[in-house]
Amino acid sequence: MGGAMTTPNQGRVLLEMKGIGKTFPGVKALEGVNLTVREGQVHALLGENGAGKSTLIKILSGAYTRDEGEILFDGKPADIKAPADAEELGISTIYQEFNLTPNMTIAENIFLGHLPTKAGRVDWAKVKQRSRELLDSLDVSLSVDTLTGSLSVAKQQMVEIAKALNRNTRILVMDEPSAVLGERDIENLFSVVRRLQASGIGIVYISHRLKEIFELADEVTVLKDGRYVDTKPVAGVTMDELVKLMIGRDLEDVYPKRRGEAGEVVLEVSHLAQTHLARDVSFQLRAGEIIGFAGITGSGRTEVARVIFGADRATAGEMTLHGLPYRPRSPRDAINHGVALVSEDRKREGLLLKLQVYFNTTVSGLDRLTSFGVIRLKDEMTLVRKWIKALRIKTPSPEFMVVNMSGGNQQKVVLARWLSLGIKVFILDEPTRGIDVGSKSEIYQIMADLAEQGVAIIMISSELPEVLGMSDRVMVMREGKMVKELSRAEASEEAVMLYAVGHEEAVS
Amino acid sequence: MSSVQSLAPVRPNFLKLLLGSPIIGPVAALLIASIFFAVMSPRFLSGPNFSLILQQVMVVGVLAIGQTLIIITTGIDLSNGMVMALSGVLIASFAAQKGLNPFLAILIGLLVAMAFGLLNGGLVTGIGLPAFIVTLGTMNIAYALTRIYTTSTITNLPKELTFLGDTFNLGGTAIANGTILMLFLYAITWFVMKYTPAGRSVYAVGDNVEAARLAGINTKRVLLGVYTFAGLAYGIAALLQVARTGVGDPQAGQTSNLDSITAVVLGGTSLFGGRGSIVGTLIGALIVGVFRNGLQLLGVESTYQVLITGILVIAAVSVDQLTHRK
Repeated sequence: MGGAMTTPNQGRVLLEMKGIGKTFPGVKALEGVNLTVREGQVHALLGENGAGKSTLIKILSGAYTRDEGEILFDGKPADIKAPADAEELGISTIYQEFNLTPNMTIAENIFLGHLPTKAGRVDWAKVKQRSRELLDSLDVSLSVDTLTGSLSVAKQQMVEIAKALNRNTRILVMDEPSAVLGERDIENLFSVVRRLQASGIGIVYISHRLKEIFELADEVTVLKDGRYVDTKPVAGVTMDELVKLMIGRDLEDVYPKRRGEAGEVVLEVSHLAQTHLARDVSFQLRAGEIIGFAGITGSGRTEVARVIFGADRATAGEMTLHGLPYRPRSPRDAINHGVALVSEDRKREGLLLKLQVYFNTTVSGLDRLTSFGVIRLKDEMTLVRKWIKALRIKTPSPEFMVVNMSGGNQQKVVLARWLSLGIKVFILDEPTRGIDVGSKSEIYQIMADLAEQGVAIIMISSELPEVLGMSDRVMVMREGKMVKELSRAEASEEAVMLYAVGHEEAVS
Repeated sequence: MSSVQSLAPVRPNFLKLLLGSPIIGPVAALLIASIFFAVMSPRFLSGPNFSLILQQVMVVGVLAIGQTLIIITTGIDLSNGMVMALSGVLIASFAAQKGLNPFLAILIGLLVAMAFGLLNGGLVTGIGLPAFIVTLGTMNIAYALTRIYTTSTITNLPKELTFLGDTFNLGGTAIANGTILMLFLYAITWFVMKYTPAGRSVYAVGDNVEAARLAGINTKRVLLGVYTFAGLAYGIAALLQVARTGVGDPQAGQTSNLDSITAVVLGGTSLFGGRGSIVGTLIGALIVGVFRNGLQLLGVESTYQVLITGILVIAAVSVDQLTHRK
């Protein structure tokens, strides 16, 4: 690290959190968690969903109060009980959901709640001048009079940072700042973070992306299940070691080994179109095969999936299933043909959130559990318990409302619904979005097992490692068209991106 | 038993079950109201008064069955009172004035009510109009049709039409045949909601229409079915209304829509859909009945009774909102 007198891992300690504990009704969210942040240091906070990262930073920012442990700021005990206390100390937090007022200008947002006055009136000249300086220091060339609602997510993030800097921030907490950004914006974010670091600000950086942590962070603290695991200098740790600390298991195990023997053609799609969103899409899918659909958001993958599942009608083209013409009129029709879709938006399209685990599991296959028009409740419960066990769904009971479950367990409920039906063609649209690493690998294993049993699988994913790790073949879509098919051997992150964004973009 | 919530093979003790059940609130409210009126008026806890409450409740109770299903699907039905009035007038008129076989007259009344239900459901699913607006429209249409048909009360009904208003003696309390019919309808609806795929579909559609469709449910058919079934309930309510009052009254059902919504909401069914219980509605209807009856016994003017019902329904919705806010 840079030319400073001390390295960031030796700088003066700004913040010490020791033995922090927090209990919510029925849940011990945090226990014995430590975090030490130094001046000019980027300190990564790592852990799966539910590991306690959010709870910890909410305690730091005053949104929650701790039940146990102590916080030292500048070596002095700090009792953070409310957001104002944290602000007083110079601790700012940028959450994933920004805290900007869209109908106000950049300058107004930067000074929101802290407007300087001169002779009883707002000193707008000062507001604008100072805002201009802050934006300049972040290399943002926008007018300070721009309404924040009209800004891109990346620019809004910069306004949030400017807002924090305006308050003499000494510790800046960033909750997954890169999750909402594209590649180029991430680069820009990194350079801003490095500049803040050079100015002596201590940064707590939360991210799921290990690569970023190696690129950006000086030290990393790992949490698991609400407990403190370890703190290590990034220079002295490998990616595999970090994953192991995080999930207690090796990285190679994340993607299951598969034999990958494809059988008969199950589904054949030719020249399929769905309005202008998907055009002239053709491919074959074989039994026991997993094909990955890569491409950027909006490239038409979801549209193709919905047509195959009968959720939308094709506007042109043909499909055959097991050699017979296939034109599903509704999701029910598709399900009856043995075709299922795990939707990309689990909460809006996949689950009946305020209904129970058992309800969600059997809702699509009640006809099999019904005699003389009456549901055999005992058989239903037996089936549901079987799948809870088989997929290791963590739930207190089959009657638990799915809205209260973690993302990974919710997704398993969706999978249980389709698996209990004996599906032949399985389309999974972003199956691991918002799911922690541990559940991810379980979902991969389920997919591999299904393929082994001869189920034909289409996996749509925007996470390239996942596409490459799971697929026998990769189909790349761009602007509604199937632009390239890559074999497992040909498929690399570079090759897929090249076709997903188009040559010109990829070269530059 | 509410909705479909208690299906575990393991049965905890009764108290625990009751405390965990969503109808605990309505049951408690009913008990508190009953104790209050029993203390205030010695006549409240008598057999004849009980039978009166049950008879007063049966019309709104049956209307509320249809209203419950519609509210579970996130809809609402403002038309039910007016549809009931139209259906009742037609039944009475066809049987008493046109000399039609009373059973044929009843069938016509039921079919007209179901046609209104189908119309409501068709507009809600087909064009995607809000249920509030659709039923506000059909409420006025039904009202106008009733007034166009007749403005005078139809009397001299054949005994087939008043049979459900007749009572029999059960341990010193006179029970109306219609009360038995109402309880029977509740039992059937409870069974369908709890034990059949159709009942499950109603909850699924109420929770999230799109997710239900993608789970393979024919959501339009479910909604059409719910509104049509509700229409049938309104037709039966019309028959009960005619039987209880012994006349075909074009003025009937003026406040029934709000009364039925009150019963549903007091019974713990969420106005946000997906959650609710038919047994809760029965208790809600009884709460409405107990309040009306108790206030009458205390000599409270009917206008003030309406006032109190209004306060009651807002209180119940507020409790629902506050306890389920996440």
